[in-house]
Amino acid sequence: MTVLDPRLQEALDGERDPASLPDGLREAYTRLTGVAELLREPPAVSVADRVMAQIRREASVPVVSPAGAARRLARWFARPRAVTLRLRPAWTLALAAALAAVVLVPFREGVTPGAEEGIAQFVGHFPGARSVEVVGSFNDWRRGALALRDEDNDGIWHGAVVLPAGQHEYMFVVDGERWVADPLAGRYVDDGFGAGRQNALLIVRP
Amino acid sequence: MTKPAPRGSPLVVSDALSDALVVARILDGDGEAFGIIIRRYEPGLLRFATRMLGSTDAAADAVAESLVRAYRHLAQCRDPEHLKSWLYRITGNRCRSHIGRRHMADVSLDDAPPVADPADTWAALERSEQVALVDRALAALQPEKREAFVLKHVEGMSYEEMAEVTGARIPTLKMRVHRARAALLVALKELV
Repeated sequence: MTVLDPRLQEALDGERDPASLPDGLREAYTRLTGVAELLREPPAVSVADRVMAQIRREASVPVVSPAGAARRLARWFARPRAVTLRLRPAWTLALAAALAAVVLVPFREGVTPGAEEGIAQFVGHFPGARSVEVVGSFNDWRRGALALRDEDNDGIWHGAVVLPAGQHEYMFVVDGERWVADPLAGRYVDDGFGAGRQNALLIVRP
Repeated sequence: MTKPAPRGSPLVVSDALSDALVVARILDGDGEAFGIIIRRYEPGLLRFATRMLGSTDAAADAVAESLVRAYRHLAQCRDPEHLKSWLYRITGNRCRSHIGRRHMADVSLDDAPPVADPADTWAALERSEQVALVDRALAALQPEKREAFVLKHVEGMSYEEMAEVTGARIPTLKMRVHRARAALLVALKELV
């Protein structure tokens, strides 16, 4: 394996003025930057139409000019989403909020999940956090759907929600920006986008 | 080839939006806004994938699949301000699995000499031959070194951005780039 002079590497990394290189190294510098320039040739193809056609097909919505509110709403409903419980969790969360003043784990007492549902409880230790929420495959990874609470400011954030039985991937979002895999989840799956990041895995039993 | 937006088109205004705002629009149900993302990043992604796979057709497939996948999972983009890194990561991943499915010997390097067009100048022909030569030298590198060299020198990324894209540590990436440079210099002694 040929080892390049560190001064050449520094110049190529932008850490040294190439003009300060001795002649032999400057020639190698010019050759390598020339190689990079050749590779920067722009592609002669485009996939834009193909991608947008696929997206529109999946949305099953005809391409229209900027939509009015009603059409926009229709498109929102037509857009494919992960299986979510949009109404029931809202009701159960409302019930949970009402019961929270009386019992510590409100769902066990007051709510009966459906035959194919279960209660998922989330607990995380995030001292000093201003907010903690849960995003996951069950809420289409959308923010703002499931906020955890820390009523006594001890850094332990908790919340619960009724979910369909089965596996769900999720993450905590701390202070609106930091994504954290639940350290207590026990099971994790690759997030599917490379770089070795993992989502926590939750199994809800009916 | 991306088409320039017509003058006065609202898309010209949209193109000034930050990635995070465009992502928010898409997640709010405006799927057409994904076109802004495509216009912004398609050329770089195609160039990256072409250099990784050595074939324009395979690169187009990989980028198209990656963009559709990105659209479907956009809500999982944890930091929309770094959308570019996320898109490159998805595309790099797709390229790696593509490379894994086939041996590099099977890769079409588009290495057939370009068909001469009477309108071509000698300089243009010479340049396309040089590109083919460089492409072959690049294809001979191990995929992770090739990726590091392309991200650094073709896409012009910082080592920090490269770390976001690849998930590798910065010292590892520097080592890959250094080795790729050394290998390319040896392979391309003849190239001016």
